[in-house]
Amino acid sequence: MTPVIQTRKLSKWYGNILGLSEVSLEIGPGITGLLGPNGAGKSTLMKLLTGQLKPSLGRVLLAGEGVWNNPALFRRIGYCPEHDSFYEDTTGRQFLDGLLRLHGFGAAEAARRTESALRLVEIWGDENRLIRGYSRGMRQRLKVAQALAHDPEILILDEPLNGLDPLGKRKIIRLIKELKAGNRTILVSSHVLPEVEALTRDIRLLHQGKIIAAGDIHDIRDLIDAHPHVVALRCDRPRKLAARLMEEPHVLKVHFGPDGLLTLETDNRDLFFGGLPALVVELDLEIEEITSPDDNLQAVFDYLVGK
Amino acid sequence: MRAAWRAAVFFFGLGRRAKRTKVFFALGLVPVLLSLLFRMRHALSIAPRGFSGEFFYSNVILPFYVQFLVLMLALFFGTSVVLEEVEGRTLAYLLTRPLSRPAAVLGKFAASAGHALAVLNIGLFGSFLILKIERAGDPSAWLSVARDSAVLDLSLLCYLSLFTLMGTFVKRAIFFGLLFCFGWENVIAFFPGLTQKLAIAHYVKSLIPQPPGQTFSFLRLMLEPSPPLFAVLILAGLTVVFLAAAGLVFSQKEYVTEN
Repeated sequence: MTPVIQTRKLSKWYGNILGLSEVSLEIGPGITGLLGPNGAGKSTLMKLLTGQLKPSLGRVLLAGEGVWNNPALFRRIGYCPEHDSFYEDTTGRQFLDGLLRLHGFGAAEAARRTESALRLVEIWGDENRLIRGYSRGMRQRLKVAQALAHDPEILILDEPLNGLDPLGKRKIIRLIKELKAGNRTILVSSHVLPEVEALTRDIRLLHQGKIIAAGDIHDIRDLIDAHPHVVALRCDRPRKLAARLMEEPHVLKVHFGPDGLLTLETDNRDLFFGGLPALVVELDLEIEEITSPDDNLQAVFDYLVGK
Repeated sequence: MRAAWRAAVFFFGLGRRAKRTKVFFALGLVPVLLSLLFRMRHALSIAPRGFSGEFFYSNVILPFYVQFLVLMLALFFGTSVVLEEVEGRTLAYLLTRPLSRPAAVLGKFAASAGHALAVLNIGLFGSFLILKIERAGDPSAWLSVARDSAVLDLSLLCYLSLFTLMGTFVKRAIFFGLLFCFGWENVIAFFPGLTQKLAIAHYVKSLIPQPPGQTFSFLRLMLEPSPPLFAVLILAGLTVVFLAAAGLVFSQKEYVTEN
């Protein structure tokens, strides 16, 4: 398979600050998730892939061509920026129509594509309202619409699910999955693991400017599962619960905190949460709070980089 | 050129709705209002004796354009060509279209020039009509205002291209632009020898006729004017050079938005 998106030892510095370090990627058709906490270098990578930034070192190739100062290539690329920025005094329709005209489409074709894209992201009906009056979700969907209105082969979407409500997220996820058809190459970034998981199994993990894992999300999850998870519980009888939990083979450690707070470590998070409701019923406990202090992407990355 | 034309059409549409354009259209009507006020005073016979419409046009309206409005239009429209996209974080939409970077700059420059020239000429011709209505049937009067318009248009394009260039690489371009307009351009005119020719204003003022025998004029040159053809060539040449440099800088420079 010839990679559609290819980077070789790609590095980017902002003065003394390292944005990206020797990133080598090969991405083919289908959906690929780029996962990383805020500040990991996802947006830097995406800006390098779309020719907005020049590499400090290394190369970027899209469909076999260099991307910096190669405007013709943008007929084949759609890009959804991370920033919530627009030409605010235009309507959704004018915005999209104008951008399509920049692609060289004639008036009739631009109008047809504008309507089609706005219908796809469910903004048609509000197309003549000023963008400054759009909700966050509508603005996010409009950004996605401008990325796909010219029907590109390569879609680069920087945090397209940011700021959307659960229903909005579901719609965009469905849309991105539908776009996969037609042999498109779609790269989607996110800092939320379940969002990427809902989109694809093929992911790249980016941390502090470096790719630290690549491949099937389940393999990476297994890798993560090899490390203990921390769960904090607050209940009316923590000692009774602790005694019972220590009988479970997947519970490794239990620690008593103030105000009935119980912090425990488990090497099988799914098994722990699966069995917890039965345990609560069995012991007749009142659980006030359950949190996973390390159930976030940063903790996952900390595990992977061995912190 | 086609790509630049597409960009010009796109940005002309955006510019029509921009607050900046509306503010400058209002400012562009100031000379018209001043002319109306002058006319009213004249009609009521409270204008100073010998203070004719001709005199008011040459000594109030024209200096307002040359020394203020042209500079302000050029500064705010010119610096916004690139800076507006960078600061508004809309540059990504522009850079990810099949549009070369110089074409994008040239297109937006053309759109900005369209708006600025409209502001300038509506006010100028409006003032002319109000102040010289008696000479509306005289072709030489029209020729005279057409010449003034051409000089102001050329100077506007020259300054606009300079500030477009400045906006491609200077973050606080408006501040430095103001220093240039009201510092350098004014101070340098009083320098002896060839130094005065380092100001764009020198060539603009060289193209504005000095009324013979008039002892007072805001637009009078402190030293020797340059020949008109030479002044036109310099202004046109500078416009081309500044624009080419803006295109070059924009095509090589990367714009990093701060997170």
